[in-house]
This record gives sequence, C-alpha cells and structure tokens, in this order.
Amino acid sequence: MSNYHEIHDVVWPRATRQAEVLETAPRLDTLDGKTVCQLWDFLFRGDEVFDLLENGLKERYPQVNFISWKEFGSTHGADEREILANLPSKMEALGVDAVISGMGC
Amino acid sequence: MLRASAVAEKAGVPSSSLVCEGFLGQASTTSVGLGLPNLPVALVPGHVGTQGRGELEKNILGVTLDDVVKNLTEAPDAIAVAVDPGPRDIVFSGTIDEINRLFIENEWSDGLPIIPPTTERVEAFLEFTDRDPNEVIAILLPDSRAATVWSIAVNGVMAGCRPEYMPVLLALIEAMSDPDYGVEHSGNTPGGETLITINGPIAKQLRFNDEQGVLRDGFQPNTTVGRFWRLALRNLAGFLLHKTDKATFGNTWRVVLAENEEILANLGWSNLSEDLGVPKGRNAVSIGRYTGSSLIASASGDNGDRIMPYIADGLLKQHTWQLVFTIGPSPGTLRPLIFLSPIVAETLAKSGWDKAKLQQYFFDHCRMPAWEFERYIGEWTEHPIRDLEDQVNLKRAPQVFAESDNPNRMVPITFKPENFMIGVSGDPLRNHAIAFAHNGLLGYPVAREIKLPSDWETKLKMAQ
Repeated sequence: MSNYHEIHDVVWPRATRQAEVLETAPRLDTLDGKTVCQLWDFLFRGDEVFDLLENGLKERYPQVNFISWKEFGSTHGADEREILANLPSKMEALGVDAVISGMGC
Repeated sequence: MLRASAVAEKAGVPSSSLVCEGFLGQASTTSVGLGLPNLPVALVPGHVGTQGRGELEKNILGVTLDDVVKNLTEAPDAIAVAVDPGPRDIVFSGTIDEINRLFIENEWSDGLPIIPPTTERVEAFLEFTDRDPNEVIAILLPDSRAATVWSIAVNGVMAGCRPEYMPVLLALIEAMSDPDYGVEHSGNTPGGETLITINGPIAKQLRFNDEQGVLRDGFQPNTTVGRFWRLALRNLAGFLLHKTDKATFGNTWRVVLAENEEILANLGWSNLSEDLGVPKGRNAVSIGRYTGSSLIASASGDNGDRIMPYIADGLLKQHTWQLVFTIGPSPGTLRPLIFLSPIVAETLAKSGWDKAKLQQYFFDHCRMPAWEFERYIGEWTEHPIRDLEDQVNLKRAPQVFAESDNPNRMVPITFKPENFMIGVSGDPLRNHAIAFAHNGLLGYPVAREIKLPSDWETKLKMAQ
C-alpha cells in the first residue's frame, strides 16, 4: 500500500447476479374444489403444522383437497435435487393447483 | 423450502412458504436470488421449536392460516431489484480509509481492512491463470451470482492474497460450486465453517505453514486464502449476516490447513485430497464444513493399542446432533475428520497401523447405545426419524444399525469405515490430535485439483 492520502480507483467487488426476475404464478380465485399439495423439508414440526393448516383450511373451504407431504419425500436433504427436478411433472400428474411449502425456521 | 416453492411458481403453480418469524429477512433476500423477489411467505410466529402444542396451534390457526390463504389467492406486490454495476466498473475513487468505510457500509467487507481492488492489482492476479477473465467458473446460490475469473481475483486482492495464490483461489471456487458440497446451505443456523486443506508441492512453493500452529493466523497464504473463502461467500455467492446467513453463533473463517506431505510420504499414507479422488502427486484443495473442533491433548503411548482408545473417544464426543446426517434426510453423509500430529501418525505407523486400519478402528469403537443415538436424531432435535430399525427396514441405513432389538446395542456413527477422514499436520513433535464435527450434506467434503498456468515456475520465481 502506498501513501495514506493516495487515491485509489476500485472496482465492483461482487459477482454479477444472474437470476432473471420472473413473475409469480397466477393466483387462485378460491381454494374450494382445488388440490393443494404439501411440501415438507422434514424439519421443525412440519407434520403437526400441516395437520393444523389442513384442518383450518377445510373449515373455510370444505371442498379443498390435499396431497400429503408423504407423497413427495423430504425437499431438503440428499433427495432434494431429484425431488425438485421431478416436481413439475409430478404436480401436473397429480392435478396440483397450489403448494404449501415448509418449514423455513 | 423456498427452492421448492420457486420450482412450483416457475411451473405455474401458486405457492405459500411457511417461514418462522426470525427467518423472514432470509426469505426475502433468498427469494431475489431465486428470481422471484416477491415469493409469498406465510408467517409462523416465534420459533416452533420452543412452543407447546397449544401455542403452536394458536399461532398457526390465528396467524399463518390467513397468510396462506392470502398467498394463494392474492397476487403479491411487485418488488424492484437494484441493478448491479458492471464487473469492471470503477465504483469509487478515494483514500484507503474512505474505501474501507465504503466497503463496510455496503457489506462488501468482513470488517477487517481490505486491500483496494484496483484494476492494476486485479490484473496482477490474472497473470497467474491462463483462463479468460470473463469465464464463469460457477453460478452460486443464494444470490445466483456468476463467479468469474475476474471477480475471484478481485476478492483475492481484497483478502490480502498474493497474485501467485490465484490458481488456489480458482480451485476453491470450483470446489465451492460442487453440488455435493452444497454451498447453498452455507447460511444455515448451525453456522458451520469451512475447513480448507491444501495438498501437493504447491503448498511448499507458496510457503503455506504445514506444521506447528498450522491453524493459527500468522502465515500469509494460510491466513489470506482462508479470509478469501469467506469474502467469496459474501461477494460471489451472496451470504450476508442478518440476511442470507442465519448462523445462530457462527465463527470466524478458518485458516487454511496444509497437510505435512513429507511425513505422509515417509509413512506411505495417502493425503486428504487423494482420499477424495484427486490423483496422487497433484496439487489440490479439499473443503468440508464443520461446526466445531476439539483438541485431543497428549495422545500417549508407543503403539496404536494404547493411543487409539483415547483418540476414538475424542472423535466420538465431537458428534451429537450431527448424527442426523448419518440417519435422517441425508443418510450416510457424516464424514468425521481428524488430524493427527506427525509424531502420533509416526507412532501409529511404527506399530503397524495404516489409514485403513485406523478407519476400521474408528468405525468399530466410535459407537454409542442405540437408544442414545435415537435420542440425538429424534427426541432432542425434533426430527421425524426416531427408530433405527425402521430406517434399516426402509433401506435407508445399513444392517449394522439393527443387529438386534436391544436398545443398549452399540451402533456406529457412520455407515462405513471409509467415512472417517484422517489427515496429518500440526507440530511434528507434539502428540496431539484434533477432531472436527462434520455437517454432513451441508458441506460434504470435496476436492479439486489446482491447475497451474503456463510458465508457472518462472512466474512464481519472479513474484517471489
């Protein structure tokens, strides 16, 4: 390093962000008659939380259907990449209209 | 969890992500890197890990449920994302004090003074690679930033590295991007820190310390390359405290450990990078994430039978909750690591022990009762997998975990002997060892060969 008052021209230190900004999927008009799948990372009491949400949503939307997290396996762990790679086709095959994904804790 | 939601949104399916209160900031910054800055989240008040059933029910039905409905039925507001400067843009001109203030204010620095990344300094680093400065080495989560040869050099300058360390820095970012390593997990709450090990002739050429005090700052290559790693996580990947880096405690970056190649050669033992697949005699870096380490002091005795019970005991005691990486969502990914000081390794070798015998010993003796293992992976950590026999029956664990139904049966902490990793470094004449608690899938050990530029010897001579 040279003298204390020397002026240095410094470059941008970060790498360039690559992700394009995408739009979220269209939302549903109601959950009644729709199929909601549960995706779980097998952490932080998600099994209890999904049970509570399922019962709570059924009270508000009696015609809502659920596909359990047991159908998909853990979304966090050794199987994550494979499960997420297959998720779009699996959702389509199962007729999934919406996803609840947990647990970020 | 957010990655799963992003996949759904990109497939045209609306999502709601369940996020505990303390993780909302991480969710919003991580969403930007996933290309969905307005990814909807549903608040889970507090943290579920400290709530009784009644409180959890009240929170989920009273707060989270409304958010889920809103997330799935109302379009989220758009969020603008700031546009980054170009990689070679001069972002500031000023004195070293002014530059350091700016870099700290913008979270581009770790809090220590940095060397100003001027174009001239960066170009000096580029002399030590034959690769195009614009070449993208990796796209790194959580920000999905493109780590180029140029941006790697910039952060090498900032860390205080010398230009000739550039081949090591490039290999490190290649290793960081290995899917098996899982850089995307680097902001998890246990806050493990990466240990970098360097092997091959380059360690001596660059004057890495490979003996007494090997993990202490004080030697420029060990210290500055270690610092580079965390600056890279910050500036190339995007891990920032209070945002994408949720380490509950965390710790400072680790100084790079150089193995004692001379001793290894004398013993006929492979080095760590060879054990991870790099051909013998090559220059290489190895990385893995560890939440902690503990010294095993004064491993005494003139043979393995006397020394090894103590060392195995020390290694076993480093691993408690980490057993969720042996049996759990990422089965068999625990790789306990131990470094022996040269005199310990030599004493073991003299009495007929090689690495394979040491690994078998660790596998046979780093054991605990099945009931205790199950308590770590289930009851105490609130994971849903609680029964070892079930996991064996599901073929997610080997038979050794269910050789009987006696809860007092002794079970190993890894799937197989080869999961134990053994290195040699530290004070050549002091009989200590150090054991590291591994983070399994969240920083699985990988190695990368260091590729040297043409005329390496000449360039190195001129630089030194």
